[in-house]
Parts: sequence; C-alpha cells; structure tokens
Amino acid sequence: MSQSSEPNTDQPSDSSPSFESTSVSKTSVSLRSSRRLLRMCKKEMLETLRDRRTMITLVMMPLLLYPLLGMAFNRFLYNYAAGASEETAYRIGVDTEAEGETLLRWLEDPRSQPPEEILNASDGKLAKFKVLFSGEAGIDTLQSLKNNEIDLAAKVTAGQPPLLELTSYEGDAGSAGARRILVERLEWLRLALAEEVAKQAQEQYQPPAQVTLASIGEPAAPSALGTVIPLVLVLMTITGAVYPAIDLTAGERERGTMEALMASPVPRSYILLSKYVAVVTVALLTALANLVAMFMTLWASQLLPLVTGQEDGLPWLAMVQILGLLVLFSGFFAAVLLSLTSYARSFKEAQAYLIPIMLLSLTPGVLSLMPGVTLSGPMAIAPLVNIVLLAREVLQGTAQAGPAMLTVISTVGYAFAAISIAAKLFGGDAVSRTSGASIAGLFTRPANMKLVPTTQAAAMTLALLVPLYYLSSNFLVQFGTTLELSLANKLLLSALALILAFGLFPWLVARFNRCQLSTTYQLKSPSALSIVGAVLVGIGAWGVMQELFLLADAMGIRGLDDEKIAQAKETARQLQDVPLVILLFAMALTPAVVEEFCFRGFLFTALKRLMTPWRLIFVTALVFGLFHVVTGNMLLPERFLPTTAMGVILGWIAWKTQSIWPGIVAHFSYNGLLMTIGKYRDQLDWLGSTDGESKHLPMSWLIPLVIVTIVGLLIVHVASVVKSDAVTQEVHPGA
Amino acid sequence: MLEVQSLTKHFQVGDTTMTAVDGVSFNIARGEVFGLLGPNGAGKTTTVRMILGLLDPDGGWASVDGFRTADQPIAVKSRLGFVSASDGIYPWLTVREMLLYFADLYGVDAALASERCEHLADRMDIQHLLDRRAGVLSTGQRQRVTLVRGLIHDPPVMLLDEPTRGLDVVGVQTIFEYMEILRDAGKAVVVCTHRLDEAERLCDRFGLLHNGQLKHCGSMQQLRDETGRQNLVDIFVDLIGDGAGSVAVE
Repeated sequence: MSQSSEPNTDQPSDSSPSFESTSVSKTSVSLRSSRRLLRMCKKEMLETLRDRRTMITLVMMPLLLYPLLGMAFNRFLYNYAAGASEETAYRIGVDTEAEGETLLRWLEDPRSQPPEEILNASDGKLAKFKVLFSGEAGIDTLQSLKNNEIDLAAKVTAGQPPLLELTSYEGDAGSAGARRILVERLEWLRLALAEEVAKQAQEQYQPPAQVTLASIGEPAAPSALGTVIPLVLVLMTITGAVYPAIDLTAGERERGTMEALMASPVPRSYILLSKYVAVVTVALLTALANLVAMFMTLWASQLLPLVTGQEDGLPWLAMVQILGLLVLFSGFFAAVLLSLTSYARSFKEAQAYLIPIMLLSLTPGVLSLMPGVTLSGPMAIAPLVNIVLLAREVLQGTAQAGPAMLTVISTVGYAFAAISIAAKLFGGDAVSRTSGASIAGLFTRPANMKLVPTTQAAAMTLALLVPLYYLSSNFLVQFGTTLELSLANKLLLSALALILAFGLFPWLVARFNRCQLSTTYQLKSPSALSIVGAVLVGIGAWGVMQELFLLADAMGIRGLDDEKIAQAKETARQLQDVPLVILLFAMALTPAVVEEFCFRGFLFTALKRLMTPWRLIFVTALVFGLFHVVTGNMLLPERFLPTTAMGVILGWIAWKTQSIWPGIVAHFSYNGLLMTIGKYRDQLDWLGSTDGESKHLPMSWLIPLVIVTIVGLLIVHVASVVKSDAVTQEVHPGA
Repeated sequence: MLEVQSLTKHFQVGDTTMTAVDGVSFNIARGEVFGLLGPNGAGKTTTVRMILGLLDPDGGWASVDGFRTADQPIAVKSRLGFVSASDGIYPWLTVREMLLYFADLYGVDAALASERCEHLADRMDIQHLLDRRAGVLSTGQRQRVTLVRGLIHDPPVMLLDEPTRGLDVVGVQTIFEYMEILRDAGKAVVVCTHRLDEAERLCDRFGLLHNGQLKHCGSMQQLRDETGRQNLVDIFVDLIGDGAGSVAVE
C-alpha cells in the first residue's frame, strides 16, 4: 500500500519534476520573481491601508495635531520672544497715587527712552508700563507681587534726589524684565539730564561718540523650534510605523495566518521584505502627511520665518531634503520595529516590547533639543539624534557634507543591522507555540560549530564597525593628543584602533557564533608560488593605484581642502622622521593583516554562499573602499576608487588561492612599499619622479609596474591551477 | 508519496530536555488517508511541523515525492497543502484576494488560480462569499475558506492538523465532504487528530502516537490482528493505560 521513493536531492529545488500532470509543473516556484515580490508587497499594503486604524494615524492625527501644535508653538514663541519685543505692559504696584505720578512722569519723559540705535539693535519696541495703586484696594504691594497681580513693587520716598525702592519676584521672567527695563529707563533719563547740564555748563561739550549700527553675516540659529519640528516629524514617523509593524507580524500570529504563510514555498526573507516595504511605505506616508500638515500650519500661522530664518514662502528644498532624511529614518526604524514585533506572539506582547523603544527614542530626541548640541563628533553617529540634528541644520541651511554623510552612512548601517536581526527572528522556531525561546535567544551562542559566519552576523558586524572604529580611533587620537605623544606613538595607537575594531570585533563575533576560525578566515596555507605572485602584485599595484588616485583627484573627487592638504603634507614630512620599523608595523603590517582578516576573511566567507565569485569580490571590495573613505574623523572620497580597485585585486587573490595569506602578503608589500618610498623620498630623488603625492608617474615607471602587476596576477593564477590539480591528484590518484 | 524516517525532536524546557517526537517513521501512498492519532501532547503537531519544514528535526528526515525537507524545503513546501484548526484569515482582504494571494505564494499562474478558486469555491459552497471581506465571515464560513486555501495550489500531499477541533456538527460534516474531495483527487492525506471515532470513519491507515513514539501503524485490520482489540478506543486504552482520559471518545 505504501510506496517509498528514494529521496532525490540532486534536483534543484525550483525545478519541479512533474509528478502530477495537472498542476505542479505550473506551480513551479520561481523564487527570483520580483514581480511576485511586488504582488506580495501590494497585498501587505492593501491589508494595512484598508485597516481603519492605520488611516487614523496616517490622516487624522496630522490633521488634528498640527493646528493644535501650531497654537502651542505660537504661544511658545510669543513667550520666548517676550523679553525682546517688550509688547506687554508691565504692571508696577505702588502704594500711593503720588508715587504713581512720579513714576509715570519719569517713564513718560521722552528722555528716558533708549536711543534709536539701541532700540533697533535689540529688535524691540518700547516697553509699556502700567501703574497700579494698591492703596485703593487696601492691599499691600508685596502681597500683590506674591499673587502675581503686579510685576514689580515700587516705593518712592521724597528727597533730594527721591529714593526709589524696587522689589521684584525672584525667578519670574516678567518681574525681572520689568525691573531691568525700569532701571535702564531711569538710567537713560539720568544720562540725558546729565548731558543737558553738561552742555549748558560747557559750550564745547561733545559726547564721546556718535553710534550708528550695521551688521553682516548670518543671523544666529533662530529658535528651538528648528529642532522641535524634525523631532516631531521623527516621532510621528515612528507612530505611523508602529501599528503596521505590529499588525503585519505579531498580528499575523494572533490571527493564525503565520503558520500557513510559513508553510508556503516562499523564502522567509521575501515575506519579511514585503512586510518591511509595507511598513516603510506607511511610515513614509505618515511622514509626508505630517510634513505637509506641519509646514502648512507653520506657514498659515506665520511662524515659518522663525524656523528657517528667512522671509520667503515654503522652504521647498529643505522640505524635500527632510523628506529624504525621513525616508532614511523610516528605513532604519521600520527594521528596528519589525525585529521586535517579529518576535512577539501577540499584539499585547508587541506593545510591551515597543513601549521601552518609544521611550528610548524620545531620550535622544530630547537630547538633540538641548542648546549647543550640534551635528558633529559622536552626535553624527548617534541613531535618531543625528537625523534630528541633520534635519534641523538642513532646515536652517547650515548642514555640512562631512557629518551629513556620516549620518547617512551610519543610519544605513543601523538599518542593515536591524533588518538582519528581523530576518533572523521573523518566522523562526519562535513562531511555534511549543517553543520556550525568548528574545535572549538572539544573543545565545549556537550549539553547533559552524564553518563560516552567517550573513546576518556579517551584516551586523559591518554595521557596528562604523561607529566602533569611529569611536575607538577618535578616543585614541584624543588620548594621544592629551598625552602629547610623539607621532610614532600616535601611529601605534591608530594601529591599535584598527586591531580593536576590524580585528578583535569580528573575531569575537566569530568566536561567539562558534565559527571554525580556519574556514572563517581561510587560514589554509598557500603555495610558495602564489606568495611570489602576491609580492609582485603588491609591488606593481602601487603604480596603478597612484594613477587611479590622481584620476579621482582630476575628476574632482576630493575631501581635503587646501589647509588640510598642507596639513597632510606636513604629516608626510614628519613621517619621514619615524623609524621605518614602526612605520612598517603600524601602516603596513597591521592594516594588511587586520583588514585582510576582516574583509577577505570574515566578510568574504560569510557572503560566499550567497553570491557568484565576481559579485563577492566586488561587494567586499566596495565595502573595503567605503570603509577607507569614512576612516577616522575625516571623509576622504578620493581614496574610494584606488582602494576599491585594490580590494578587487585582493579579493580575486583570496578567491583564487582560497587562502588569506597571499592577500596579506600583497597588501603588506603594497603598503610597505608606499611607506618606504615616502620615508626615503629625499634620498630617492636620483631615481626620477617618485614623489607619490601629486605627480603622474613617468611612463618609464608606469609600464614596468603594470607589467609586474600582471605577471604577479598570472603567477597567482598559475599557482592556484597547479594547486587544484595537485588536490585532484590526491583525491583521485588514478585520474 | 510522503516518507517519514526516524523523525526526532527534542525541546528544552527549563533545564530538562523533553523528547516530543522520538524516531517516528511511516510512509503514505497517493490516494491514501493516514490518521496520525494520539492524545494531546503525543507529538502529532510537532511531526507535521517537521514535515513542513517549520521546525528543524534533531534526527531523521521527511521527504515528499523524493525531496527531503531539510535539503529542498521550497520543493517540499510547494507539494504540501496544510490546514490547521488554528488557521486564521486576513480580515481586511476579500476571500478571493486571500485565496489568490496564497495561490501566488505557491507560484500558481494567475489565470489557473482564478479558475481553481471558482471551482473549489463551488465545491465547498463559498461561491457567494468570494467578494466579501474575510473579517465578516462566520466561524463555519471561515473554516470552509481555510480548507479551500489549503487546496488552492492542488498539492499532491495534504496535512490536516486537528481539522475538526472546535467545530459543531455541521463543521465536522464539512470536513467529511472535504475528505471526499481529497480522495477523489487522489491526494496522499495525513490527518492528525485525537478524535478516534472520527478517525475510524475518515482514515485508511492509522499511526498511533504516544509520548512521541509511534506505537502501532497499519490498517484497522492490521491493528486488530496486532492487538487483539476491535476498535481504536480499546487499542488506545491498552496502549496508554490510565492516560486514556485525554483521548476523546465521543
């Protein structure tokens, strides 16, 4: 009755053999179908957008919220500006009518008004004062002051001159303002009277100077509103993403559709991706609705100039740029949300996970509101804070390329890390109700040894490397500067930063994930021939890279201004005094070993299963190139082209030889040669143009170097063919 | 068509390791209805989840039409239909949208999917519900929609996990009608249930699961010969001793 068939594992999974003429040949699953992915996204969108609760956050919230916020902003700005505008009438309480008359006589005297220039400079109008006689009501002026019925209590005692005694309420802005202005006004009056007397007494009296005022430059950052707006937008984007994120993941489980979904022959990543797209889209729609509603409110309530510091209408460009930042932010935050909600088994559980995240995201948001906090240093890599600060600077037109780039790159990195976490969690074993796993499972070590790191581990490591290297190198630089270390010691410190970030961190991740180090880092011993080839490649590639560097420079890809170039030249000159051993250790050996272990070891083997060899080589080279651009606290885009090209060569060597060592040798030869030439530049003048900084190499140099590179690559190629033949011979001695 | 060999699964509960499925093996041919029977917690659902590839087994393997779950999960999943009592619906999609969505997930061509949707809706009497929002359906209607969903890609093997749980008489009758459709189409079917009376009516062969182990496997006659008992209830009572209370005898 039962019929057993031998498992046929040779056939590819997506070619369905016809075992039922009716259907299965037609139900063959084409995994690469992007159209299907689009349809899956469409279904997620439909499901979310039809849900009325989504529409409430999407449309109703901004419609209701901003007019209310607009009113609050208005009030806020009114109070904020009150000290300067002096529109309000200050209330001064006196006991008797006579005292009031004296006070008013002083205040109404035109000579008590500040000179025109000072009034204009403070952009204010003349303050108004109202005198209240508390004597009539039989109330003590001090009591009135306490009750905030007056801003200032005054007592005038007749005499030569009369004595004015003022009492203000400590900590009350109105009271302090009234006191300051009243004192100033009396001061002006005194000065004017004194000048009159002086003029009468002395015909030749001249004031020390006649003052007129003018100004140049940009006005200072207008107000905190510039930060409040991006912060509110970011928070609203979060709000928009929360509901769909929960509904499309935990909701799927709660409705009982998750199991059927997971049982379908679609890769988990497709399902997650379609949900991710839906969440990002809803988040963006919310962001867009909020952006438009907010700017319309600001425009309608005439608050816009206070935000942008300009008089013109809507700041379209800034709005588009902020929308771009929100796209980036939604991409990041949707991934964070999905990684959390993917784990939850119900709406309730998901909400419990999300509340701390919402509060957490509020804290850096508030931090960005603090005065003096700008987008620089660690702020540029602090998630959420950097987006809010960058949006503020975009709005005020003060954004700078460097920190902006760092913000974008680090946010993309965080998004990748979050997506890889979500992919790991979404629909995993944790879905099943029998599993007792918890979120801590993400950080538990796998039970079995692995040959190479998982893609998720590699993605997370890469994402964390940006801030890690930034922090460690800057910390060590700061440390070196504080201790006034010599350049040689500073070089050693930067090597240490490299070892810590690119060496130690991936190694720890590999150890934690129980990855076999020999396979993770391709530690297989290479043939002697491939080492010879690698040395030649390292020596020859120098010339090629130099030309690429100049090409990038000629194309205008340049991150250094003249001042920094002069600085770099000065550093290069100082480097000549550093002992060669230290130069080679810090600038050649350490980068060669650490970077090869990281990029052609850890990253290379983690991605190997996913891609074709050439794609793998290019992807790792691209990452390698990008990391050299954002190195340290500067951006050096001109390094991208040569470093990526070098990454391609090193990747090809790693792939050909299946070993990390030839790459390390080539990398070391390349860096070592550069360092040696740099150090002995002066002594090498007789060789002709070896100045590696600005000039093209003469053809008599370039051609031999290119030939040496090609010969080196050929030797590596031959060595790998010879070696693989030898392996075949070992396995099949008869062959 | 479906082959299960020495499937084993352990779960870590606190500090102790619990064996949920312990070396279970069975084969099912085309056109055969196999009842995987056992009390609650016997390991039925875990076995089905391992066949589907939703859980990784700690030992053994399952294969469908020659494809092993662990090696070619996509090929296996596309050949399996799965319906569970806890299955839900997408409340904001119409019934048709939901069915076509699943057809798409299984790579069914759009035209064929529409045709099949109409045909199955006709057989399961949900024709009039196709353009209604799934969120407004009654429990019985939802059950029918779910059953159609499981067949939308016309899989050669169907897995039914406790299909009658929580259903009234009419609902149970629907399952019987559904089984007829499956039989007509020559599907290999696995029905997991703890309802022995229903199983006797539905299935051709039986696997009796207890504490994760397959204690008996065969047709009703084979089981009778093997145990000397006349019906499933008696066989189970013998098998599990005082644990019989957890097997529903209705």
